[in-house]
Amino acid sequence: MTQSSLRKLYAGWRVQVRVIHALMIRELHTRFGRENIGFLWIMVEPLLFAGLVAIVWRFMKGPTEHGVSVVAFAVTGYIPITLFRHGVSRSVAIFTANGSLLYHRQIKIVDFIIARFTIEMLGGMMAYAFISSILIYFDQFPVPSDIGLLIGGWLVYSFFCFSLCLIIAPLSEMSEVLEKFVPVTTYIMLPFSGLFTMASWLTPEIRAYFLWSPFVNGMEMMRKGIWGDQVTAYYNIWNPIACGLITATLGLALCRRVRRTLSIT
Amino acid sequence: MIICHNICKTYAHGNSRKRVLKNINLAVKPGDRLALLGRNGAGKSTLIKLIGGVEMPTSGKIIRHMSLSWPLGFSGGFQGSLTGYDNARFIARIYQRDYLQIKAYIEDFTELGQQLKMPVKTYSSGMRARLAFALSLAIEFDCYLIDEVIMVGDQNFSRKCQHELFEKRRDRTLILASHSTSLIRELCNRALIIDQGKATEYSDVDSAINVYSHL
Repeated sequence: MTQSSLRKLYAGWRVQVRVIHALMIRELHTRFGRENIGFLWIMVEPLLFAGLVAIVWRFMKGPTEHGVSVVAFAVTGYIPITLFRHGVSRSVAIFTANGSLLYHRQIKIVDFIIARFTIEMLGGMMAYAFISSILIYFDQFPVPSDIGLLIGGWLVYSFFCFSLCLIIAPLSEMSEVLEKFVPVTTYIMLPFSGLFTMASWLTPEIRAYFLWSPFVNGMEMMRKGIWGDQVTAYYNIWNPIACGLITATLGLALCRRVRRTLSIT
Repeated sequence: MIICHNICKTYAHGNSRKRVLKNINLAVKPGDRLALLGRNGAGKSTLIKLIGGVEMPTSGKIIRHMSLSWPLGFSGGFQGSLTGYDNARFIARIYQRDYLQIKAYIEDFTELGQQLKMPVKTYSSGMRARLAFALSLAIEFDCYLIDEVIMVGDQNFSRKCQHELFEKRRDRTLILASHSTSLIRELCNRALIIDQGKATEYSDVDSAINVYSHL
């Protein structure tokens, strides 16, 4: 009995992997087409964003701030934030937009979110690797002192972003008002994302509040992984993991609920 | 075997609710050819969507013990911005079929030629129907769910459907929503009338058609 249900679970898993793979390829085709650089476009947007902001900051703030390179600091901040903002904005109305594909029973609504988010995440990682390699070559970016911590930070940060997408997607189907609030909310939360500052640059009182944010914890991990002993980082890896787990559970429950009422033409 | 157990479906738009289906019970055995009859808006398409798993029933349960096609109809199942070929490739991937085989089959069945390289949103409803039928025939399902779509095709298409689906695959199960009484008389061995959200099964197709004509 348990063995047959395990086999069933495995078979279901294989189907979902296949579906997500197919959805990702489809998404890349519809979004970027096959002309010129094709799917490489996925990294262009985060790249442009991080690159241009870094240049602006360089002229506004000078070469270094708190002992770290301004350009590198901007890049390490803007690539993760792009993942968050794109992930969330692409989750809005994602079920209705892909509704016609729900004709195929093996496609589950969560597959849409996973497929889109994975694309954003791959794009972000490619942009990160690309821009940092170039900047390292020109000596504008430190060679990461602890690559494991950098990747770990990226993963927990992404996990928390993904769990938010799991909530935003079903909520946007339940209420159209939400759609109007998403851009302003993602903008308002920028200061609490760890984008502009490290926790150690703040006063201890503010820092205590600042570290409640799961984004900050992920960001601190990534930056510690890059600069190592040059910076002091404050983080608790369990914060983004725990917040992500709670949010994801809630999100999955909402998805299940919304699926029952989804009407597809 | 497909079993629908006490299915209800309610649609809510703002504050108003509409109960489309009320306590539908239905068992479809392998080889059954079931016609769904009913006036426009009676809930035929809704029932087909529920059986196909496109939408979920508000309450009740659907048990499927055979492979079911997706509802073959005017809409759904395709990504409009992708070409016919890309849609075929996508469907081959998610149903785990060999794309080249499917490609050869749809080229032959649809006779759409160069049009297959165009986005599906540029297709007429007849062309879409051709593609949907070709793909579902290439995948080979035990049961085909067909929503009103056969009549949109031209002579050539009806002839092909006739041959591929109703002659070569005579042993398959069929659930067909249609207004064409002659087609139903020819193809089906069971008939269900949906009226006011309730489904009534008639002992034979002729008496169902008779009742339906007086609705």
